[in-house]
Amino acid sequence: MTVLPFRRKQRAYEARQQGLVLDDDWHRPSVKWGLGTAHVLLLVLLVIVGLGPILWLFKSAITTTQDTIVSPMALFPHGIAWSNLTDAWNNLDVGLYLKNTVVVAIGSWISAIFIATTGAYALSVLQPRFGKVIMAALLTTLFVPAVVLLVPLYVEVVDPPFIHHSFAGNYFAIWLPESANAFNVVLMKRFFDNLPREIFEAARIDGCGPFRLFFNIVIPMSRPILGVVSIFAILASFKDYLWPLLVLGDTNANLQTVAVHLPQIEPFTPLGDFLAALALSALVPIVGFLIFQRGFLRGTGLSGALKG
Amino acid sequence: MAEIHFEGVSKVYGDGTRAVNDLDLAIGEGEFMVFVGPSGCGKTTALRMVAGLEEITDGTILIGDRVMNHVSPKDRDIAMVFQNYALYPHMTVEQNLAFGLKLHKISKPEIARRVHEAAAALNLDQHLQRKPKALSGGQRQRVALGRAIVREPAVFLMDEPLSNLDAALRVQTRGEILTLQKRLGTTTIYVTHDQVEAMTMGDRIAVMREGVLQQQGTPEELYTRPVNTFVATFIGSPAMNVVPAPVLKLGSDSSLVGFRPEHIRVGPALNGSVGFNAGVEVVEYLGDEQLAHLRLGELSLVAKLPVADHVEPGTAAAFAVSREALLFFAVDTGFLTDPPS
Repeated sequence: MTVLPFRRKQRAYEARQQGLVLDDDWHRPSVKWGLGTAHVLLLVLLVIVGLGPILWLFKSAITTTQDTIVSPMALFPHGIAWSNLTDAWNNLDVGLYLKNTVVVAIGSWISAIFIATTGAYALSVLQPRFGKVIMAALLTTLFVPAVVLLVPLYVEVVDPPFIHHSFAGNYFAIWLPESANAFNVVLMKRFFDNLPREIFEAARIDGCGPFRLFFNIVIPMSRPILGVVSIFAILASFKDYLWPLLVLGDTNANLQTVAVHLPQIEPFTPLGDFLAALALSALVPIVGFLIFQRGFLRGTGLSGALKG
Repeated sequence: MAEIHFEGVSKVYGDGTRAVNDLDLAIGEGEFMVFVGPSGCGKTTALRMVAGLEEITDGTILIGDRVMNHVSPKDRDIAMVFQNYALYPHMTVEQNLAFGLKLHKISKPEIARRVHEAAAALNLDQHLQRKPKALSGGQRQRVALGRAIVREPAVFLMDEPLSNLDAALRVQTRGEILTLQKRLGTTTIYVTHDQVEAMTMGDRIAVMREGVLQQQGTPEELYTRPVNTFVATFIGSPAMNVVPAPVLKLGSDSSLVGFRPEHIRVGPALNGSVGFNAGVEVVEYLGDEQLAHLRLGELSLVAKLPVADHVEPGTAAAFAVSREALLFFAVDTGFLTDPPS
């Protein structure tokens, strides 16, 4: 039981050692009070700006509509309206749309990770003959605003080359374009470029072919960047409005995501129920991030692989 | 165990750099061959060509009687130890050791036997469940060695495996590698830029410079009969003194004369030796001997002297070298020549 506080103290000490202000300087009153106050103010500011809107949303989700309209910034509502949450869940079908969103997010995540890892692996490790040209073409697409691509992409989804079978009204219409994300490929490639080649060579001598090298060595060493791309892909699909609205349309409402559905019902919904629906929708990515961020962002990395 | 043959092997990179030039070399079964030379001499490139990590531009490499030019690294029956360990960071020590065996479809009991034998031999049995980041530099290097050993390959390739260790650990690991290699009897190519490492470890040494093999032979051959001034000054520490022959009143301007620091003694020339007067600049006391840095006109010389010899910095003294210890080199080519008659 004594190990945890000790570790915490040690981590705090290490963090101080890495900072610009030395540990000894913290004992000087001017530094202690001046920087200490600045730290507290900065923290309060960050909480208000960053966490404030989310806390307000959760507070308002359990506040009566009348209370929210009369005094939206009140810290303590007159009573708690849990019924907002049940009404949102039952009457607004938030559960169904959340399920749709999760399906869209998981599909987009799988396709984004598949294309980003395999594309980056090919460009960075296998290095095909025209790899540099392909990389330049990928980079070029990053400079084209997404909204410009909306119409050509829509045409392609409605009448894809060779297949000539429309994906409109189908989740593939979201999953496939999501996979073709040049930013993810470039990000992943930059990470793969920095993986030590000696490890790949050791693996080749140990008996790895390109597939084993990919699955047994490159992917396990890339957990941090897989986490980053996963978060990007999942959050992007969770909050995307325009593209799902375009390709899933209004005709098959049962397929829509919360990001499309909620704005559509807003004019006809009591404010309390609507805010409760928003809070329920926001809960999923927040909880997901809190659960997985440690594993994603820390990862095993490269520590110990090489003399460093 | 297998022989390795380099037959006219060259490596030319895309920009025209000739890293290895027409290398001819035979390495016997079970032999410990050291490639040594300064940075950029082509020693690592030659090793990587044996491993299959570099394509061969010209010539043939044989392991045993198989031509290896276009054989994949995994099918060459080799194991390699890298300078930077190159351990798999996401695997435990045990998984690192077993990985290559699993890929070669060795049975599980056999993998367990080999891993535990290697771990015991390298004092790693307490660390099998740890990941590389939890190991010290010496332990990581031993895991890298273990990964090579468990494969039981025909050839070990080692690319400066000790260069990242501190001095004491380097000496210890050097001994461990030699003991293991002698016990296993596996043909080994060992690359280093450290001539002391080369001299102490190699059954034979190949000295390379700018992609060209300068000389190969036993440490004693290289030390006593270097074929040119490069080998003469590269092998041995401190380096051989090489001076124009006329400085010692020997031969013509077209000759250089070389002699080892330990062949210099204090005192006038006796029969069968040549003498010179030199200023003593600095004396380094090493405990069992001392290194005297001498100034002979424009030339700097080093003498390795017994501590009993009193030489004072800032004074001049008479020194002598036995004629038998002198080696003569041609000025224009740098190659060893016969002594002047």
